[in-house]
Amino acid sequence: MKKVCFVALLFLTAFALPPKKTKVWLIGDSTMSIKEVRAYPETGWGMPFQYFFDSTIVVDDRAKNGRSTGTFLSEGLWGPVVENMNEGDYVFIQFGHNDEVETKKSYTTKEQFVANLARYVTESRAKKAIPILITPVARRKFDAGGKIVGTHDVYSQLVRDVAKTLNVPLIDLDAKGKELYQQLGPESSKYLFNYLQPGEHPNYPEGKADDTHFSELGARKIAEMVLAEIKALNLPLVQHIYQPAKK
Amino acid sequence: MKRIFVLFAAFTLMAFVLPQKRKIKIYLIGDSTVCDYEPTRAPITGWGMPFKYFFDSSVTIDNRAKGGRSTRTFISETRWQPIADSLQKGDYVLMQFGHNDEAKEPQYKDRYTPVPDYKTNLAKFITETRAKGATPVLITPVSRMRFKDRVAQETHVEYTAAVYEVAKQYNVPLIDLDKKSRELYQQMGEENTKLLFMQLAPGEHPSYPDGQKDNTHFNEYGARRMAELVLQGLKEAKVELVNHVVNQKG
Repeated sequence: MKKVCFVALLFLTAFALPPKKTKVWLIGDSTMSIKEVRAYPETGWGMPFQYFFDSTIVVDDRAKNGRSTGTFLSEGLWGPVVENMNEGDYVFIQFGHNDEVETKKSYTTKEQFVANLARYVTESRAKKAIPILITPVARRKFDAGGKIVGTHDVYSQLVRDVAKTLNVPLIDLDAKGKELYQQLGPESSKYLFNYLQPGEHPNYPEGKADDTHFSELGARKIAEMVLAEIKALNLPLVQHIYQPAKK
Repeated sequence: MKRIFVLFAAFTLMAFVLPQKRKIKIYLIGDSTVCDYEPTRAPITGWGMPFKYFFDSSVTIDNRAKGGRSTRTFISETRWQPIADSLQKGDYVLMQFGHNDEAKEPQYKDRYTPVPDYKTNLAKFITETRAKGATPVLITPVSRMRFKDRVAQETHVEYTAAVYEVAKQYNVPLIDLDKKSRELYQQMGEENTKLLFMQLAPGEHPSYPDGQKDNTHFNEYGARRMAELVLQGLKEAKVELVNHVVNQKG
């Protein structure tokens, strides 16, 4: 009888182990992507974000510099994500920076942008994964009076519309980002971005004044904002946020 | 035949020439403001972490700094001896201590090191580094954040002065990171300087649920700014190592 118990236990263990890890897929552009060392200190918010979860979660940041909803599809970057997606996974979708600029090769019309976002949502759901739509994170732009100015107004609204129509959880990083920059003001908000004096950092000998791409600080602040919104949405993912051992 | 001979000779020569291109090793020795941290402790960052990306592939950085260590405990815990043993000609030792040497409070007596001993220990690092044909570089302890009437205050007076004395006595390149960092804080101002440090609101970051109000340890941004100041100091001191920084010729 004891033996039977033992065998039963072994049998159970075979199914119980290893615990299946949930994947958090990030798809998007340079504001989210993992940077090469030669681009440091430019940082995508996916870089600090990956350390926010416990060992049951794997963050797989597939975001790529310069990609729009259209080129992410046409270059075959989405295919492998769908193929490897499992039930219960999450897909965080943040595009817009490269969709909305008519002069860019990656330009995507409003209609196509909406259709592409809908496709990411539908195909994620077909795999029983959970899509989350994110508005394009705000750029740093102030008017003469020191008031923050929107730079993604049209495409952010499209993301909100798709989220509403398809009933997808939404994280409004455009609005939240603008709030943060306004709170810091025109000067101090520069610390969030890749602002460098000439000669300050070896990767940028001529210096840099970039109002789109983040410093380590900005990327982490944005990642923290995404995490706060995950909590506000009360996604089940909240159960897997990293917790330090109690002292 | 001639060709084959030349080729053969060339290969034979290369066999002797190539291994001489061994990588320069930079050892970083110091405390919690310099050391590496596990990702689960992010965003706390020692300046040695971003610093290692400043150099090209001819250099490796070995960050041996350790939190809570003074010059004295770094030696007594046998952290220095293995470095002294493995140092080779052309290597560098960048040293920054003081935060724990100067800790006079009773709870820190395990690390406290009086100024004369601090100087003796620095001199030991210097002498033993030079004995191996390697180059020592002294760094004053990076400033803590302390403002009074909007002016960034000196926080390591005695120990920074001691580093200067040792540098002069032994003719060692010196980077005054204490002064450079304080100048940066002054320039940024009291509010913005907090952006460099481990200052977190409760609930902001999962690793620090109760938040942090730390005026000594840097976040990822502060650590990078400090690393940039160390690099600037290396350039000013004309340490040869700066020829191995990435993009120098570009």
